[in-house]
Amino acid sequence: MRPGEIQRFTYVERLVHWAVGLSFVFLLATGLAFSHPRLFWITSFVGGGPTARILHPWVGLVFTLSFVAMFWLWLRDMRVDAQDREWLRAIRYYAMRDKARVPPCGKYNAGQKMFFWTMSLLAVAYVASGIPIWMPSGILGLGPFYGGAVNAMRVVHYLATVGGGLFLIVHIYLGTVAYPGTLGAMLHGYVTRPWAKHHHPRWHEEQSGG
Amino acid sequence: MTPSSTPQLPANGLRIRRASASPDPAPGIRQGPEYAKLVDISRCIGCKGCEVACKEWNELGIEPTVNFGSFQSHRDLSPNTWLLMRFNEVEVGGDLAWFIKKDACLHCAEPGCLLACPAPGAIVQYENGIVDFNQANCIGCQLCVSGCPFDIPRFSQETRKVYKCNMCIDRVEAGLEPACAKTCPTNAISWGTKEDMVALGERKVEGLKARGFANAVLYDPAGVGGTHMMYVVPHGDQLEQYDLPADPTAGAGALALLGTARRMGAAALGLGLLAAGLHYLGFGPQAPEEEKAP
Repeated sequence: MRPGEIQRFTYVERLVHWAVGLSFVFLLATGLAFSHPRLFWITSFVGGGPTARILHPWVGLVFTLSFVAMFWLWLRDMRVDAQDREWLRAIRYYAMRDKARVPPCGKYNAGQKMFFWTMSLLAVAYVASGIPIWMPSGILGLGPFYGGAVNAMRVVHYLATVGGGLFLIVHIYLGTVAYPGTLGAMLHGYVTRPWAKHHHPRWHEEQSGG
Repeated sequence: MTPSSTPQLPANGLRIRRASASPDPAPGIRQGPEYAKLVDISRCIGCKGCEVACKEWNELGIEPTVNFGSFQSHRDLSPNTWLLMRFNEVEVGGDLAWFIKKDACLHCAEPGCLLACPAPGAIVQYENGIVDFNQANCIGCQLCVSGCPFDIPRFSQETRKVYKCNMCIDRVEAGLEPACAKTCPTNAISWGTKEDMVALGERKVEGLKARGFANAVLYDPAGVGGTHMMYVVPHGDQLEQYDLPADPTAGAGALALLGTARRMGAAALGLGLLAAGLHYLGFGPQAPEEEKAP
């Protein structure tokens, strides 16, 4: 921490975030490899088709557990309030960098909150549809799932993947090149005061006041 | 294509018509005949010689079983039992009848297993119509099991691969008939070109009808493009009693939806990347005002 910086994420928050993030990227890459023959080469990076197929559900378990931890960690901060709804109405101006017309936000803006809630729903979809595909012969008295059930779950699993992939593109874009100074918050945990004032004015006020 | 996604074809130089998870069509140009097996259920005497011949030729070993109150040798197919004669006991007109089914891969023209498989070249269809699993390319996901409308492929917990009848492809390529057809003492199993077997099947159905089996049918379901193992079924109005689906389909329903979803999903992800790139070109990085000031 340099003078004038404030902490945005604790060590535990960063650890949990990267457990979720790295496992998700692994799952997205191997999942896309299984989804289309032209992408099957991606499995080479993790040791080939059978290895990718064995690892995918276990990494899915890592994703699930770390996502649950992340959910509890950030649930309180992610409550959507009236100011968030106002922010959402101005999301067009946010995207167009018309900052004067975007209401000031707290620690997280409504877009980030929507990302959190959408990913939470998608995580449920990944697990619920993933288990029948992983263990078609059944688990814990559930199943067997062979046949149409597995085929239908593959559609759900894939559509959720596309949704998660699209959100990940936006997440990485905004967290890196679009807003310089943001990535550090998730690496070493700190942001500059001008960054906080610019992107999260109400949070900056709270931090300055307290 | 990158080397990793090029299917490893079986070493015996068989002509591939199509391979699972391989968007490129097979380059074959030779046009050999399509073969088919015809199983006349009405001629089966229940000797199970075909089961033994299958085990012997394919070197599948013995699988111990128990008497479970049926004439049937085993309860179910397994990774090393590719052929099972099922003897379903059904009452027909006050009499007991055996509804026999030669349970093994039907070698569909539109194979649900191949369409469901995500591993390039793990499932192949030869130009002669036989559908074969190439375990070297199998990733053990078992999606073929769910894709099969006849519940044929079996997963081995030991090898983590899936197995099924390969129609004795090694015999067929050498000009021989499959082992089960070779051994059948009553000629209940015939072997020949698909065309000839359809004609023979239709003649057999006519014969059965003349003998009083008014509902006899040739089972060659159109929903999977026809099969390369067909049945002459005496009680064609009671297919489900034979464990034969009345209207099996492959690549329909959820699997067809998945195909559409993939094309749209790939486009959506590509457009997402493009949109992020275009946004950056248009707006660039946004840094806090204090830092931007000169």
